[in-house]
Amino acid sequence: MSKMTPEEKTIQRDRMRYIKNSACANLCYLALLFDVFYFVLIYRQDVGTYYYNIQIGASVVYNLIFMLAVFLASEAVKNYKKNYSVVLIIAGVMQIVRMFVIPMRAHNAMTLVNAVETKVMTDKTFMLAIIYLAVSSAALLFSAVLNIIRCSALEAHVKSLESHQA
Amino acid sequence: MAELSLQHIDKIYDNNVQAVFDFNLDVKDGELIVLVGPSGCGKSTTLRMVAGLEDISNGHLLLDGKDITQTPAKDRDMAMVFQNYALYGHMTIYENMAFSLTLRKENPNVIHKKVLAAAEILGLTSQLNKKPAQLSGGQRQRVAMGRSIVRNPKVFLFDEPLSNLDAKLRGATRREILLLHKRLQATMLYVTHDQTEALTLADRIVCMSMGHVQQVGTPLELYDSPNNVFVASFIGLPPMNFYDVKVSGGQLLGNGFKATLTEEEKKTLAAYEGKDITLGVRPENFTEGSDIKVTVTNNENLGMNTLVYGSIGNTGVKVTAKLKGWKNYKVGETASFSIARKHFFDKETTNAIRGDK
Repeated sequence: MSKMTPEEKTIQRDRMRYIKNSACANLCYLALLFDVFYFVLIYRQDVGTYYYNIQIGASVVYNLIFMLAVFLASEAVKNYKKNYSVVLIIAGVMQIVRMFVIPMRAHNAMTLVNAVETKVMTDKTFMLAIIYLAVSSAALLFSAVLNIIRCSALEAHVKSLESHQA
Repeated sequence: MAELSLQHIDKIYDNNVQAVFDFNLDVKDGELIVLVGPSGCGKSTTLRMVAGLEDISNGHLLLDGKDITQTPAKDRDMAMVFQNYALYGHMTIYENMAFSLTLRKENPNVIHKKVLAAAEILGLTSQLNKKPAQLSGGQRQRVAMGRSIVRNPKVFLFDEPLSNLDAKLRGATRREILLLHKRLQATMLYVTHDQTEALTLADRIVCMSMGHVQQVGTPLELYDSPNNVFVASFIGLPPMNFYDVKVSGGQLLGNGFKATLTEEEKKTLAAYEGKDITLGVRPENFTEGSDIKVTVTNNENLGMNTLVYGSIGNTGVKVTAKLKGWKNYKVGETASFSIARKHFFDKETTNAIRGDK
C-alpha cells in the first residue's frame, strides 16, 4: 500500500467534516448482527426446563438494553461523537463477560434427557456461542478505538482550520 | 469544453406524433444557447435528445465532431440540471454533489477537492452538511448545478431550472447562472419558456414553435429584427401589437388610424404598394404624439413606466402602449400616440418584410 502524502492526509481529515463515520457505525451493526446470532443460538436450545429461570429472563432484558445502547451509540459515532466510544467499550467488555455466564455454565452443566444424562450445551454450540460473542465484542472495541482516533484527528484538524482563519 | 452540432434532427414518437422537425444548430465552444418557446414547442424534447434521454428519430448529433447520436446518455459527458432539482433527500449536500463521482469510483480525495471547489463557486460551502430539505429552492438549484460542475462535463444542459422558484429568487439565481457561465466558460444549452431568462442569459436564442425553429440569433436580433409574427409576438413584454394595414401612397391605412411611412420604410414596402400587410408595433415604441387616437381602458403605473391599454377609437382594435414615466390616463379618456418604430410582416406568410431582402 502506498504511503499517503501530507496533503492527502490533510484532505482525508478534511473529508471527515462532511463524510459520516460509517466505518465505526458499520462495525456496531456487525456487533449487533453477531449478538443476534448468539441469542438465536442460545434460545433455540431445547434442553427441557433448565433455561426457564430468572437468568434467562435477565438475559433477554439485557439483550434488549444492549441492542438499544449499541444502536444509539452507532448513530452517535456516525456523527463523530467521541464520548460514545465509552458506551461501545462497556458493551464490548460485557460481551466478553457474557461468555462466562450462559455459555460457560451451560457447557459445564448436565441434565437428564429421557433418563440419560446429557450435556446442556454441546461443544459445537458452545464454540459457536463463544465465536459470536467474541466477534461482537471485537467489533465493538475496534469501533470504539477507531472512533476515538478519528474524532481526535477531526478535532485537531478543525482546530488548525480555526487557527488559520483567525 | 465542447462544440455541439445538431444536424437535421427530428423526433417522431411511436404514435407518429412529430415533436421536432428538422432541427439544425451549431453550438460554439463556450456558448450559452437558450431554447425558448411556449409549452409543447419541442424545446425540452430537443434537450432530452441531446442528453440522450430520448432517441433521435432522424438526423445526427455531433460533439466535437464525433457522432454521438447512438451513444448512451451515461457516455455523452453531459450534465443535466432539472427543474425539480432531482436531489437525493436522504443525502447531505456534500454527498449529493459527490454522488456521480462516487459512482464512477473516483479517488475520494479528488472527489473532495472537486466538491469543495464547486461549493466555493456556488457559495454552498457552509451548507455542505445539510440535507436538501433544509435549503431554499434557490440553494437546492445551486446544489443541482454543483452536482453538474463536479463532473466537469463537456456540455451543461438546463431544463427550465428556475421554474420552481419565486420571482425574486429566479432573478438572483439567473444572475448566478450567468456568472457561472462566465467563470466556467462552458458550453451550455438552456431551455426556458421565460423570455426574460432567454434575453438576459443567452449568447444566442433559438426560438421554437410547434417543433420548428422559428429563428436563431442574438437576443438583440430576436428583439429588434424578428423573423416572423410568432417571434415578434413571443419576444418582448408586453407582447407586440399587430394591426392589419394597407400600404397606400406612402401611408399605412389601418382600422381607425393612419401612419406615415419614412423614406426608408417606403423603400422596404415598395413591393407591397396597394397590398395588405401586418404592422407590428412594440408597446415601448409608442410615444405620446398625434397619429393614433386611443380610448383608454386601463392605466397601470409600474414606477419608471406606465402601461396604457386601450382601443383605437371605437373600432375595438386593441392597443398596449408602454410609456416612459408616470402617467395618469383616466378610463375612457382619449390618448394620442405616435409610432416611433414599425415592424412589417407579410400577411400570408407571416414572415418579416425587410429592406435588405
